[in-house]
Amino acid sequence: MVGSLLHPLNIFIVGLGTGFLIPLLNRLGKGWVAAAFLAALAAMTLISAVCAIHLYYGGEPIEILTGGALPPYAINLRMGLAEAFVATGATATALLGAIYVLREKYAVMLLYLILVMGVIGMIATRDLFNLFVFLEIVSIATYGLLSLGSRPEALSASFKFLMATVVASTFFLLGTMLLYAATGILNIDDLIAAREGIAGPIAFAALMLLLGCLLLELKPFPANGWGLDVYETAPGSIAALVASVVSAGVFFALLKLMPLFEDYWVVIAATGAITFVFANLIGLSQTKAQRLLGYSSVGQMGLLYMAAALLHIVDAKAAMPLVIGGLFINHLLAKAGLFWLAGVVSRERLTDWAGLGQHPIVLAGFGILICAIAGLPPFPGFWAKWQYIVSLASHGKFVWIAIALLGSLLEAAYLFRWLALTLHRPAGAKDWKPSRLALLPVFGAGALLALCGYGAARMAGLDADWIFLPLIAGLAIVVLGCVSDPAQRIAAILTVAAGGYWLVQGMTGIGFLFGALFFAGSAALVIASLYRKERRPGFYPFLVVLLLSLQALPRAATGLEFFVLFEFVTLASYFLILRRPEARSAAFSYVLFSLTSGYCLIAGFAVAHAVTGEVSLSALLTAAPESALAFGLLAAGFLIKAGAVGVHVWLPGAYADSDDDLSAILSAVVSKAPIFGLVVAAYATIRSEAMLDLAYAVGCLGMLTTVVGAVLALRQDDIKRMLAYSSMSQLGYIVAAVALMSHLGWVTALYLTANHLAVKGILFLVAAAVVLRTGRRTFSALGGLVKSMPVTFGIALVGVVAMSGLPPFTGFGGKWLLLSAMMEKGWYLPIALGVLATLVGLLYMVRFIRAIFLGPPRGATHTVPEAPWPILTAQAILIAGILIMTFFPKLLIVPISEAIDPAFASTLVWEGMSLELIYGYWNPLPTMAAAVAVSLLLIAALWLVRRRTARLPGTARSANFYDHYQPLLAAVTPPWAVTFWTAVARSTQRLGMLAGRVYTGNGQAYTLTVFYYFVAVYMVCAAISF
Amino acid sequence: MISQTVLVTGLLLMLVGVWGMLTQRNILRIVIGFALMGTGSHIVIVAVGYVAGGTAPIVDGPVTVANAAARAVDPVPSALAVTAIVIGLAVIAVMLAFAIRLYEAKKTLSIDAFADSKW
Repeated sequence: MVGSLLHPLNIFIVGLGTGFLIPLLNRLGKGWVAAAFLAALAAMTLISAVCAIHLYYGGEPIEILTGGALPPYAINLRMGLAEAFVATGATATALLGAIYVLREKYAVMLLYLILVMGVIGMIATRDLFNLFVFLEIVSIATYGLLSLGSRPEALSASFKFLMATVVASTFFLLGTMLLYAATGILNIDDLIAAREGIAGPIAFAALMLLLGCLLLELKPFPANGWGLDVYETAPGSIAALVASVVSAGVFFALLKLMPLFEDYWVVIAATGAITFVFANLIGLSQTKAQRLLGYSSVGQMGLLYMAAALLHIVDAKAAMPLVIGGLFINHLLAKAGLFWLAGVVSRERLTDWAGLGQHPIVLAGFGILICAIAGLPPFPGFWAKWQYIVSLASHGKFVWIAIALLGSLLEAAYLFRWLALTLHRPAGAKDWKPSRLALLPVFGAGALLALCGYGAARMAGLDADWIFLPLIAGLAIVVLGCVSDPAQRIAAILTVAAGGYWLVQGMTGIGFLFGALFFAGSAALVIASLYRKERRPGFYPFLVVLLLSLQALPRAATGLEFFVLFEFVTLASYFLILRRPEARSAAFSYVLFSLTSGYCLIAGFAVAHAVTGEVSLSALLTAAPESALAFGLLAAGFLIKAGAVGVHVWLPGAYADSDDDLSAILSAVVSKAPIFGLVVAAYATIRSEAMLDLAYAVGCLGMLTTVVGAVLALRQDDIKRMLAYSSMSQLGYIVAAVALMSHLGWVTALYLTANHLAVKGILFLVAAAVVLRTGRRTFSALGGLVKSMPVTFGIALVGVVAMSGLPPFTGFGGKWLLLSAMMEKGWYLPIALGVLATLVGLLYMVRFIRAIFLGPPRGATHTVPEAPWPILTAQAILIAGILIMTFFPKLLIVPISEAIDPAFASTLVWEGMSLELIYGYWNPLPTMAAAVAVSLLLIAALWLVRRRTARLPGTARSANFYDHYQPLLAAVTPPWAVTFWTAVARSTQRLGMLAGRVYTGNGQAYTLTVFYYFVAVYMVCAAISF
Repeated sequence: MISQTVLVTGLLLMLVGVWGMLTQRNILRIVIGFALMGTGSHIVIVAVGYVAGGTAPIVDGPVTVANAAARAVDPVPSALAVTAIVIGLAVIAVMLAFAIRLYEAKKTLSIDAFADSKW
């Protein structure tokens, strides 16, 4: 039993009592005030936390009765588990934030304390009028705290806030009294019990006034200008309090009264949805930090009550603690933390945040909070969103899922843009030093978020703790980096290798195959990173997270585990790309497309889950959902991430603008994660005949990607860009091969995957070596390196031959078998595309060798030394891999055969043959000969055309073959995708600015909107009721 | 149970207040609008509890426990009205305090001068 000292009534006694004592203590000295203030807040937090723990372990809800009578004759308050949880969150946040007001006047601390007490009252009370009183206590304390802002605009904002909230609470009072007039009840429990009888115009009007007020206090779009102005102008500490603690009280009040509004849940959900989408849309065009946070706050609250209302609609009681609790605590801590940080940094404009990166600690805190708000793992918002989507998908509420994901994407867009801004310090930026104490609450919030995230993960049904292994390893590497740089490098490499080896153990089937590939590729390529001598802050920790998550991916047993690891991969690679200032915009499109891909996946998993009722991936495999939607969403997600044509715009920048050794890792290893996913998704859905049409579409898309990627590769002058597009092209082959849904197709897919992993790793490292030694990265500035870098030349040659699918290396056979398989299926369009791609592929690969190594030397490149040993070592390992696969193909083939369930034989044409038999049955040579012959004929034709056109008068003779066809290449690859996505981005931003015009800054206009809002709520609900 | 005249008066007073806060440009007049709206709401509260021909809710003399529900005025709304008045007073005081500070900031009381944050 909770001791009498820890009885929740003491929260109010401590709050009010210390409040009254503070003026007296002020006579004794400021230190006394601060000590009493902190002690009171700590006591309130402790009591709430003890209550929460007591209730969690099965304690009875604690009733607080007043006036010696039982309700309804007296007011009662209740501490149930939900109340205690929310109260603990609110008081803990208030306690952390208290550090910022310790030096203020004693009145500030007094108001702060009363405010927190009022919020607990709002949470605990079970009496409607008492709720009004606590709401007013909180409001008046807020007004007082807002007057701390001394700038004129802060005062204007406070007055607008006052006008709007006074109107809202007057209506709440009126609603309470009208409800009393209609029912004679003020006790909330009794009202809920009697809600069937609440009828008639007066009772309806009363309900609308209550609902309108609670929604308004949560700042719905468009009647929220007054709230945004306060978020923008108030001191960070106070804005944090309003955005987190006060919102917590109001939200809980709405949650408590939710049963009263049963008929209008859909209105609440719609209000939340509109607010979530529009707030984030307008957030896109913000230039001021706190205003941006304001939009984010308003949006998150919208999401929160949208989710709460929807879960009530589908009656998903079991999901409520995770979804509502998770979203709530996530926003509470992360938003408070960001406002605190904004207060500490105290730079109004977002652009002035540039250069924050000189303080890694500040940056780390900022990054954690941004990731939490954006709903990424491991923070609670992520698990809550997952559960939200799963719960709604099983009731077919797909529109609401789409709304939540759309809003989240918009929010992530401005948050990550902001984060990227802070990283790199512009020349002439002012020095700035934060105090350690001021950062304490920010990190407190971060730590609590991580803790709650772990709890939420457990609630979401994740019982595989090894999922967090990459993060823990990353943290350990960070710590080691503070000690010694070389130790950090060695430890990172060993962790990647040992961790990967450990993770591969116990994998089976296709998972094992991919796991082994990820392990081999990561272990080899990570060695190459040693060639960079300088300190690389942040590089190794994120690299470890990236590669360990990637290697753990095939171990995922459930859709959730897979998705979590997939998001870890995305995040870690995003931060790695972002390390280079030049890669900022590339990283931005990378993260946006990756998140979109993730949202498609989460929706796809949720739909699959809804259809099968199972969470485990293997259940998905055997249950084989006949859902084209699930497969479509999963395929879309993986195709975005694989860089299929149309959504490939993120790819060249991400691969080309990142660090040279990172490019190799991204293109060779990380790009195989979506391929793995695609195989699993295809595997899961293959039984359904309906999938085969979809598969054909995916196959065509894959081959189109191959051609477009190849043509774009040929257009590039930049080596790394060429390799990036080549990567896109090769992934297209793999996608098409997976889509074949046949024995041959899948063997080819896995073969090409292994082949591309080794080859692209080698070639990107060649590029890294060339850039390192010459400092140049364009074909036009290079040439003749064969003499100075003969070993690299030989390696590049092996890579190019292996990639083009010519004998004798692995990959030979692969592409040609693919074409044969397509022929057998009658896929004529993909075949035509395949032949075209062969031609273009030959052209750009010949150019790669010719322009860099042969040709005339340019500049002083003949004196450069050979590539450094780490690069050569990594390349040697990869070449060894190619050789092993060439001479011992069974190493790949046997696991594939074993992995495929014979039951799929009906639709998956699976003969169960070994590679020798396949080669005997399908001879690749004729196909290859035909394709290469066609290509050579076409090349000859191109040559002839060039000779003819070059002789025409008025055309200057181009320097070489490739330059001559640049106009043609440009003509056949119009930048439709880039134009399209740029237009999408621009019009979204413009739409946001347009929607933002409702915020005129005029307080009376805002108040008028508040009235309109009440009228709108009334009309809409009346339309529903009558 | 509800006294129509008092109720209508209260609601009208609220409307006057709302009209004032939305149309007046001077912050002090706006605050008066808020005060009128608050007073109107208090009148509505009292009206809600009024019983026509009722007497004070004291169980003594004409009012007995048995007929209290029919004869006595409902005491709850009156008690709540007192609370609401106190809160309303505090809110108006805060508004006036802000009005003073706003005037000090820009030397004007026109609400149009305080449309600072936008979009």
